[in-house]
Order: sequence, then structure tokens, then C-alpha cells
Amino acid sequence: MKFFETSHIFRYPWSHVSAANWRKYPNDNCPHVIAVDVLDRHVDPITGILRTERLITCQQNIPKWILSLCGGSTVSYAREISEIDPSNKVLRMTSYNLSMNHLVNISETVTYTEDPVDSSKTLFQQEARIKCGESISKFANYLEDFFIARFRDNAAKGRQGFENVLDRLLGQGEIA
Amino acid sequence: MSQSIGTNCNDLKIEYDKCFNKWYSEKFLKGDVRPECKELFEAYRACVLDAVKKKKIDKIISDARKDDPFPAAANSPSSPLEDINKHYHHE
Repeated sequence: MKFFETSHIFRYPWSHVSAANWRKYPNDNCPHVIAVDVLDRHVDPITGILRTERLITCQQNIPKWILSLCGGSTVSYAREISEIDPSNKVLRMTSYNLSMNHLVNISETVTYTEDPVDSSKTLFQQEARIKCGESISKFANYLEDFFIARFRDNAAKGRQGFENVLDRLLGQGEIA
Repeated sequence: MSQSIGTNCNDLKIEYDKCFNKWYSEKFLKGDVRPECKELFEAYRACVLDAVKKKKIDKIISDARKDDPFPAAANSPSSPLEDINKHYHHE
């Protein structure tokens, strides 16, 4: 099993970041995300927490040696569940792969919270865990290394892409 | 706006996303958490569920829900999740 962890401070208030989060895609930095769909969504009437279940469709170039090993496809799916607590200003999203999950489990949790020191900023934390199945134990280490490198690369691009989306939406006054 | 998994669902998705994003910024974040856009969502979701079935990924979604259910809304007599699972299992 391999872990990945990173954090960042966005220079926008939490309300803007959480609104822009729904409009993160498409962005040029994440061409691998080709579709995003809401499967289910509700507001908990007692807590006021908004829960959303989404299906993320990705298309990525995967090396031939992995495809032949895993029999996977270049189109893959992930399920994401998010919870937004507007009174405490917390947005937490967890997602994991639905494709090739007999071979590898990739799960990610990101949280966006208001910066306790400066409410005009938002703290971002991202954690991922990558684990390959027993059936490919011989190759597990190589595969985990591949996926963690891919994840790290996408995470950095994704963060930059989201910065661009924030700049664009807020610059155009689409989120006020 | 992002694309939908069903290319024929894109128009419905645009309408729903527009309604949702407005509600999110103008109501939800300001403390009015009463849901809106229900009809637009139902139309869009029906289209997505159809696309998911056609692409044969309905089973991996319902399997994922068995392991890790999407929490049902409190006080909700019939959870939308049950409707979807019904859709997946019985149609």
C-alpha cells in the first residue's frame, strides 16, 4: 500500500471555493476527466448538510504493459461522495475507482475548510491510498509506484486547473 | 459545464447544473437549505441512469453502493437511493 498527501491554501474564501468546486470541470489541466454526473443528492433536513454522489468518467493513457496485465480499458469510472456542511464551512469529498478495482484500489479524500487564521482563504488537504490486490502481488510494487506517480501528477495539475477555474469564475463575476 | 456520460443528457445536465449552481450560491450558502431544482434533477437523472445501463456500468455502481451505501436523507420515507437500486435491480 502507498500513500500520498498534500495540502494547499487557496486565496479565496471558502464559499467561493466550494461553489467553484461544482464547476471544476472541464478545465484544460484535467483533460482526462471527460464526464461528471450526479447520481444522487439530498440535503439532510436536520443537519443542513448537502450530500452528493457523482460518477466521474475518465479517459487516460495507460501503458500497454498495465493494460495487458490488468485487461483494463482506457475509459475508467470513479464514484465520489461529498458532504458540505455550510454552517461549519467544511467540504469533504471521498472518491474511489470503480474500474479495475479487483486489481487496484485507489481512494482519495479531499477537504476544503475555512482558514482559521484568515477567513479570506481556504485550506485544502488531499490524501490518497493506493493498494494493489493479492492476485498480482508480484507486480504490486511496480503498479503501486505507477499509480502513485500518476496520482501525484494529476493532483498537481488538478490543483493548478482549479486555481485557473477560480480565477476565471471570480474574474468574470460568475461567483460573487 | 462538464459533459455528461450520456451525450444525449448534456442539455438536461446544463439546465440542471445552472439551476443547482444558482441555488447553491444564492440559497444554500446563505442558510436556506431547502432543496430546489427537483424536476430538472429527476429528468437529468433518468437520462443518466439510462446511459449508465446502456454502458453496462449499472452493476459496478450498485455493487459499490452495497459496500458503501450513499447515506439516505433523514426523515425521508422513500430514499432516492432505493429508487435507483430498484431501477438497477428490477428493470
